[in-house]
Amino acid sequence: MPPVLSAENLVKRFPGVIALKGVSFDLLPGEMHALCGENGAGKSTLIKTLSGLHPAGSYEGEIRVEGRVVAFANSKDAEHAGIGVISQELALVPEMTVAENIFLGNEPRRAGGWFIDWEKISLESKRLLDRFGLNIPPDAVVTDLGIGPRQLVEIAKALSKDTRILILDEPTAALTEQEVDVLLDMLRDLKKRGMALIYISHKLDEVFAIADRITVLRDGQSIITLETARTTKNEVIRHMVGRPIEDLFPRRAGRSGAVKLSVENLSVSENGKPRLEDITLQARAGEVLGIGGLMGAGRSELLMHLFGAFGARTGGQATLDGEALGPGQTPTESIRRGLVLVSEDRKRFGLVLDLSIGFNMALSSIEDVARGPGVLGLINEAEETRRNAESFDSLRVKAPGLDTAVGTLSGGNQQKVVLGKALRTNPKVIFLDEPTRGIDVGAKLEVYELINRLTDAGQAVVLVSSELPELMGMSDRIVMLAEGCIGGVFTRAEATQEKLLAAAMGGELQKV
Amino acid sequence: MSPTSPTPARAAASFRALALPAALLALGLFFTLRSPEFLSARNLSMLAIEVSITAVLALGMFLIILPGHIDLSAGSGVGLIGGLSAVLIFEYGWPAPVALLIGLVAAAGIWLGMGSIIVKERVPAFIITLGGLLVFRGLHWLVIHNATIPVSRGGETNIFSSLTTYYIPPTAGYVLAALVVLVLAVAGWRKSRLPGADGEKIFLQTFLAGQLILLFVLICNAYRGVPLPALVLAVVTFVIHTLTRQTPFGRYLYAIGGNEEAAVVSGVPVAKVSIGAFLIMGIIVAITGFLQTAYAGASTTTVGTLMELDAVAACVIGGTSLKGGRGTVFGVLMGALIMAALLNGMTLLAVSPEAKYIARGGVLALAVWADVRLSRR
Repeated sequence: MPPVLSAENLVKRFPGVIALKGVSFDLLPGEMHALCGENGAGKSTLIKTLSGLHPAGSYEGEIRVEGRVVAFANSKDAEHAGIGVISQELALVPEMTVAENIFLGNEPRRAGGWFIDWEKISLESKRLLDRFGLNIPPDAVVTDLGIGPRQLVEIAKALSKDTRILILDEPTAALTEQEVDVLLDMLRDLKKRGMALIYISHKLDEVFAIADRITVLRDGQSIITLETARTTKNEVIRHMVGRPIEDLFPRRAGRSGAVKLSVENLSVSENGKPRLEDITLQARAGEVLGIGGLMGAGRSELLMHLFGAFGARTGGQATLDGEALGPGQTPTESIRRGLVLVSEDRKRFGLVLDLSIGFNMALSSIEDVARGPGVLGLINEAEETRRNAESFDSLRVKAPGLDTAVGTLSGGNQQKVVLGKALRTNPKVIFLDEPTRGIDVGAKLEVYELINRLTDAGQAVVLVSSELPELMGMSDRIVMLAEGCIGGVFTRAEATQEKLLAAAMGGELQKV
Repeated sequence: MSPTSPTPARAAASFRALALPAALLALGLFFTLRSPEFLSARNLSMLAIEVSITAVLALGMFLIILPGHIDLSAGSGVGLIGGLSAVLIFEYGWPAPVALLIGLVAAAGIWLGMGSIIVKERVPAFIITLGGLLVFRGLHWLVIHNATIPVSRGGETNIFSSLTTYYIPPTAGYVLAALVVLVLAVAGWRKSRLPGADGEKIFLQTFLAGQLILLFVLICNAYRGVPLPALVLAVVTFVIHTLTRQTPFGRYLYAIGGNEEAAVVSGVPVAKVSIGAFLIMGIIVAITGFLQTAYAGASTTTVGTLMELDAVAACVIGGTSLKGGRGTVFGVLMGALIMAALLNGMTLLAVSPEAKYIARGGVLALAVWADVRLSRR
């Protein structure tokens, strides 16, 4: 049987980074093909290339659909070729109903194309949802649905468009156990009807439960394609990592000193909804405290709240260097007192993308080089430039110069700019929220080395990561959060993937 | 570290920097050919006053637009504050300096209030200042009871009336110009000593600026001397330039406009800085109100009408992004010059008012369209 979709030797370059260095794989009709690889291995780039988000001409190599070479200029072209994508970020309009979303941009018309055929929309979407036994009313507004049903609506939307190839990018990342089961059943059903699927997931259990074949990506290359029936999880992991874990996480444990940050019985709510409950933890000088948990467990919320940028405190207390931290302090005050946050979403919370590297690096500490009253002091530009150059060199930012706009840099270099900005405030406690997300392996190592240097210098690092190997590799102690509560606390020696996962899933699974 | 290499954005920026003077030159040439009177010392002095008034308000508007806000109430505020001080002098016989001070304090207070509502309560500036536009116009007419209120009693001269009638004596003008050029030279010299600075470019810029200032004083002195509003503009320009370029306050304005959420997480005191920008805008509205009312000779119901739009237009033509985070003082000055020269030239050519509106609107739309095309990468 000829493949319905194939990629041959795809190479995709970004300024400063080669995201794909030669990826080949093929998708057979009625097959479920899983793509596995670490963050930054090139999975997202591959999907964007296959689905027309990186247009033809911006990459090298060939994409074939049913044997014919295709050149998608945009995602619409890919859609016409029968390729549908369910991405990590859902593309539903929250204020519209399920039915409206399913047919958005593709509305059936009546009266010669002048009017939208609402009746047909409502009937068709009902039929579509019923076909998969989805108990979702077509006239429900998307805002009222949970993440799981939204994901299913998204799939129904893709199916309304005569999709023959469905790509799912981490579809279960935010789903509960039952929702995952519903989703996997739906996918099996689709496969039976002849749909070819590409499935991307970090969760190997799911992959082994559903996929026919697995292609492993590493550092932008396709390493190997395995048949699920004839391989093991360990073999897949070995190909994904490609080297022993110790080399990947060069953590040098330091001497831990005094408690820098202490949190006791902290509870936080946002808009009246409780988000964190009864959190107690400590971070010591010279130590990396890892915080893990599933998506939605409240990891980022905890950091953002302590930093002063999220939610309202409903109980408990926090101290920084023995003095009360909040409630109600602003990020400006936190930074002044030696607490700094590097957000997981650097484009949204970290950088002013249109402005220069120098501007961004100096932003949090600019008042340090100004003479005079506070914000109205006169900036000593010579000193500012000197410090910028120092950060630029010591973090090994790869860019033409300090004047380069941050938006043109690769993910790893952008992250270095955010880190540089944070470190320039001379913090005592540093919150790093997913500091290696979306950056390549080389830059990751540099971030890990930086963490070592910080703890060597007696600073306390709080590291949030959704990658368990990273969490285990870099933390001296690990706190797992489960649905806003503490699920378990582990020392570096105690921690295993299984224990951490069980703690992240909360009490019910701990027995297993 | 290597010196900066040209990027598309940089090339577009330098093209923009050249496009504005070129447009201005073309405009001047056109008006001169149609009416040689345009380049006369007398007209240029008038133009200097008009530009100064527009530019002062535009520089205030610049501080509001940089963090991504807008002020539609500025024009009405100009009328109200000028009218308030005029009434205090003409009807209550208060000394002019006291009346001006009261106007200044009132404006600062009003804009502080508006800024606090906009920033702290998160009501869009568009709505609050649209309300302000209407409320201040009504208050203005109420204060002057729809009459014409002269800025001085019995035709005598006071500090208010002299704002646009006083000319700096020629000798003093030269001395002042020399001082300004000296300050520029020192600033340029210090800037060129920064690591990575392009000394040649800085020298050329400083040299050109010095030449233009001397030329300007020369032309003004051929009439009656440098008009006072030009001096006011020079001071306001210096202050705004220093604020935006050399203080954390200015950095924060750019950061807030560029990415407010990132600014918050970076520790930028967003509320304090944004409200501060409105406070400064209040002071600038008052100054513009005094200048514009003095230029009209009296407060009437039409003083200040549509000035907010001229100010926004000057900013936008000068390359300020309405979304915030981008723009320069130089661009705003150029934008104000283009808007004022256009109006002045058309008045000389006796263009009908309806055609004037259409031309100004057309230039604004055209300039922004060109700018959007240029900044698209």
